[in-house]
Amino acid sequence: MTSLPQEPVDVIVVGSGAAGSNMAARLAEGGKRVLILEAGPERGPGHLVSSTLYARRVKWTGPPVLDEGRNPVGFVFNSAYGTGGAAMHHYAVWPRLHPEDFDMHSRHDRGLDWPLKYTDLAPYYDKVQQEAGVSGDATKEIWRPAGAPYPMPAVPVFPQGDAIARGFTKLGKTVAPLPIAVTSTPYNGRPTCLWDGWCDSGCPIGALANPLTIHLPRAASAGATLVNDAPVTRVLTTDDGTRAVGVEVALKDGSRQTVNAKLVVLAAFAVENPRLLLASATPKHPQGLGNSGGFVGRYIMTHAAGLVYGLFDEETRPYMGAFGGQLVNQDSYPKTTHAKSGAFGSYQWMIAQAVKPNDLLGISTTRPDLFGNALQDFMKRAVRGFAGMTAVCEDLPVADNRVTLTDQRDAHNVPIARVTHTTHDESVALWKASLVEGKEVMQAAGAKEVWTGPAGSMHIMGGTVMGTAVSNSVTNTYGQLHDIRNLVIAGPGLFPTSAGVNPTFTVHAIAARSAEHILATWTQLAG
Amino acid sequence: MLSTSSNRRDFIAGLTFVLAGCEKRMTPAQARAAEVPFRTLEPATVAVLDALGETLLPGSSAAGLAHYIDHQLSGAPADSMLMIKYLGVPAPFNEFYQAGLRASDAVARAAHGKAFPSLSKEQAGGLVGKMSAGQVEGWQGPPAGLFYFVLRSDAIDVVYGTQAGFEQLGVPYMAHIEPPSRWGE
Repeated sequence: MTSLPQEPVDVIVVGSGAAGSNMAARLAEGGKRVLILEAGPERGPGHLVSSTLYARRVKWTGPPVLDEGRNPVGFVFNSAYGTGGAAMHHYAVWPRLHPEDFDMHSRHDRGLDWPLKYTDLAPYYDKVQQEAGVSGDATKEIWRPAGAPYPMPAVPVFPQGDAIARGFTKLGKTVAPLPIAVTSTPYNGRPTCLWDGWCDSGCPIGALANPLTIHLPRAASAGATLVNDAPVTRVLTTDDGTRAVGVEVALKDGSRQTVNAKLVVLAAFAVENPRLLLASATPKHPQGLGNSGGFVGRYIMTHAAGLVYGLFDEETRPYMGAFGGQLVNQDSYPKTTHAKSGAFGSYQWMIAQAVKPNDLLGISTTRPDLFGNALQDFMKRAVRGFAGMTAVCEDLPVADNRVTLTDQRDAHNVPIARVTHTTHDESVALWKASLVEGKEVMQAAGAKEVWTGPAGSMHIMGGTVMGTAVSNSVTNTYGQLHDIRNLVIAGPGLFPTSAGVNPTFTVHAIAARSAEHILATWTQLAG
Repeated sequence: MLSTSSNRRDFIAGLTFVLAGCEKRMTPAQARAAEVPFRTLEPATVAVLDALGETLLPGSSAAGLAHYIDHQLSGAPADSMLMIKYLGVPAPFNEFYQAGLRASDAVARAAHGKAFPSLSKEQAGGLVGKMSAGQVEGWQGPPAGLFYFVLRSDAIDVVYGTQAGFEQLGVPYMAHIEPPSRWGE
């Protein structure tokens, strides 16, 4: 194991996932001495066994999190523990947010406004998609905001995608290749994907743009150091509370070590970041760091999954392709598309996702009511003619959906987190509307049986939202705490709204923009 | 007894069981055939688990469902591959399983006057159907619907979640990194 440095560093990055590895690479390439502290174990490509069972060992196994409310966020499933964080098992569906996502409150009196516009992020989307490699066809995505074309051609469409596309077409709707950060051609020394559907186990061959493939090697080449099994227990600040000076790390022998830095980046995901801020309270910040406005932990969001399935007579080969899907439809992106159903918000369809026989997202789980001989019969038919698609349904931000600390303590005596989430009524209505549309599509496609699933939770966002002031948020547009500017948040926790698309591409774009700002203002920040 | 060791190499060659003092890599099915002693599951509940498994998915008992669950419960929760870890149940998971198995047996005795393993196929199916709906009169254990879902998932994992299981269904496995040897063979 790499040991912790005794000397101060320039930057400590807490977490080695998408946001942390991106920030670490950029700051190290900018000449800063960067230390990445990862609470979980070391993980390399050799650990990513192609097995739905083994994939579960990549997920969160850190301190327990109480996952509560009427619609829990599914913390264990949606997070991870170890090198690469949750991005190790993400499906790399990388659509952009739309301009209307950024000023939803101003336009619709719902949720929050972002403190930046789409045009502020667009150059960073372009930059990140070039370095990570995204496959797609921008001309066919009629909904796509302005931006550079994708650097790789579209992913292939297999029979499952063809079958469902038929339904969209019959109803006069459009499908386009799913924009996905998976190689459709050799790219920067990486091989083309085999379309074998093992993304959820983590891609060990470098086809999918996870941190092991993209930013951690860059960070290492630029001199950054990654230390595993190094859980941060507190962020340390000056006596006057105006600056972060480092972090306290729990060692395996039970002792603590302080590591000092000129700047601290918290990139430990949407629940652990607010947990750390709250657990780092001081006399100057009695409610936790960055919490003078009372917003730390608030506005936790998760996308409700609109799961729609069909069984076809034809061979669909549902196990082929990427786990994220083959095609996309964003006809329901305008926020008031389903207003007549009492719904508000955007959703997109991820169409024809690769599925395996077992697991939470596997074929067998789509019919949990079946057992015995009926289950056996279903499985034999379904592996031949199954098709599925998932609506990524926007979750309106609700202040009381939040992360708080409990009275229980983890092994390092840090209070464990409770995440409470109950979906807003208009978001529930949106999810229901997606199921209605999805069933129509499957029926139009010719499915002999059509059914739907429960509202699973996808992604976790919010909890440390960005905004214009202490009175409405935790950070500024760069993720800097309003009242401690050298303490920076990175990751989906910054999102003031969840949008109706997958978050990781936007996480990367924000991280790239933040890193650029940090480097440009380093002299002021470093003090 | 079972070893708690279950690192990646174990999965390539099967799980590591300890039989007569010697560590041996075996599939759960092989561990069952060799009558490897259980380490965590109470012997009285193993027969209930086997009978429930057969009701949920025929073939799961021979595939080593009980030995698979016992192995996973005997290791560190961080290494667990059980579906339950996704479902909001705090680790360790042993009591969830034990309580669910005891409750299953108790409702069998209450409804039919005999232990769950002694139920006819129809009687077992009737009770499991009620469990799936979460509506079992007199049930005293973890939520019946959740217990059904967890155990059903485990049975599916040992039967279909392996290379042999994929083969049985005619699904190409296409591994990048090979998982354990063919469980269920």
